[in-house]
Amino acid sequence: MHFYGYPRENGTYGVRNNVAVISTVICANGVVDAIGRKVPGVLAMTHDHGCGATAEIAVRTLPGIAANPNYAAVLLVGLGCEGAQAPVLAREIAKSGKWVEYLVIQDNGGTSETIRKGAAIARKMLTKARQEKRVLAGLENLTIGLECGGSDAFSGVTANPAVGIASDMLIAQGGTAIIAEITEMVGTTHILKKRAATPEVARKVEAYVALGAEADSWRAEPVAEGNTHTVAPGNLAGGLSNIIEKSLGCIAKGGQSPVADCVPYAVKPSTKGLIIMETDGYDIESIAGMVAGGAQIILFTSGRGTPTGFMGIPVIKVISNSLAYNKMPGDIDINAGEILDGVKTVKEVGRDIFDLMLRVAGGEVARAEANRQEQFSLRQEGFPYPSLRDIARNCL
Amino acid sequence: MEYRAVKITSRDNVAVVVQAVPRGEPVIIATDKNALKLTANEDVPAGHKIALAPIKQGGGVVRYGEIIGLATRSIRQGDWIHIHNMALPQEN
Repeated sequence: MHFYGYPRENGTYGVRNNVAVISTVICANGVVDAIGRKVPGVLAMTHDHGCGATAEIAVRTLPGIAANPNYAAVLLVGLGCEGAQAPVLAREIAKSGKWVEYLVIQDNGGTSETIRKGAAIARKMLTKARQEKRVLAGLENLTIGLECGGSDAFSGVTANPAVGIASDMLIAQGGTAIIAEITEMVGTTHILKKRAATPEVARKVEAYVALGAEADSWRAEPVAEGNTHTVAPGNLAGGLSNIIEKSLGCIAKGGQSPVADCVPYAVKPSTKGLIIMETDGYDIESIAGMVAGGAQIILFTSGRGTPTGFMGIPVIKVISNSLAYNKMPGDIDINAGEILDGVKTVKEVGRDIFDLMLRVAGGEVARAEANRQEQFSLRQEGFPYPSLRDIARNCL
Repeated sequence: MEYRAVKITSRDNVAVVVQAVPRGEPVIIATDKNALKLTANEDVPAGHKIALAPIKQGGGVVRYGEIIGLATRSIRQGDWIHIHNMALPQEN
């Protein structure tokens, strides 16, 4: 099996062909936005990281995102004094062989001059990108990210297991699926360890899920590993009897494939197959980590419905029930509620998702793309979560 | 009224009912091969589990192909399964 993708210098294939203009710090966002207005067709990717305590996560994440094959070429715009230095990031991105340029506002005559120079570069990049043609690529060149948001009681019954089938089908063809949100794997360590490809990976699985339990404990939710029930009253009322069952519903997105490896946030896996990435449960931040890890497409399940997308990355929405589907049909690609309606089986919807995924890889537009849902954000780290905890400890 | 339940993997001995099923009503489990039919022994709330086969006391309750808990008493086909008759397994 195959898809049609844009061949990149380092042997990867993009399923989209965007020129990305990325700020390295919030102070450069105005210039990036202005370049985006002057050169329609480029993605103006801004965020509020890059300086002080937020520099580290920008340095860790932006090069991986910029190296994602869905972006044909990248222009970085920095201010000059920030922690996430544009020349350093550009050098890192250039290792992929991709065309990357950078502009530093303090060295280029300020706002208007940097906009003028940046627009000229972006136009050249766009001209080159428009000459690229899709070619046949094997599925070993496809990496997907698995995400869920706004889950309901049926997410673990329909949408997640169906996505798991699509994920297994891709992995059987040599592809890669990244499953994130370790905070939602708590209670399944013993199961994921059994699925680990090697003892070393099993050791990592244990450590990663323990990190997820630690993150959960910050939020004062009673979800300690091995506790009795350890699910919220609403979960119990909805039919989930304990944390194992609840978390199995979440990791069902990863199907039954062996766990090939575990990687930290935003790190590109060095093996193919099912990969666990250490991310939080916040949708866009989690997706950003998987995009930095090389995911060209995201399969996103929901029970309540969510419109979100990601800049330059097709996000395919799978909803768990027909009631929610009918509330916002223009935002949803696949209605797994047909399983509850007795119209289709989990396997049939899984195959539908797989087929749609390959069509989207080849250029078919996902609903979030058609709706211009183009979000971009990086992980919030250091602040505010741990420090809120410190505040609670020290000030109350 | 036809009540439906969803089974995730072929190894599962429970399914999740789509709507609330009153006691004595038939429940259809849609699978790829054939539609298994059973009768609810008691009221089962929407989204909750129903036993597809008898489970002995101490036996594994299997969903997603994995043991999600152990039966704390003997469970018959058609029984509602929740925290009143299932406990967390000892983790290895």
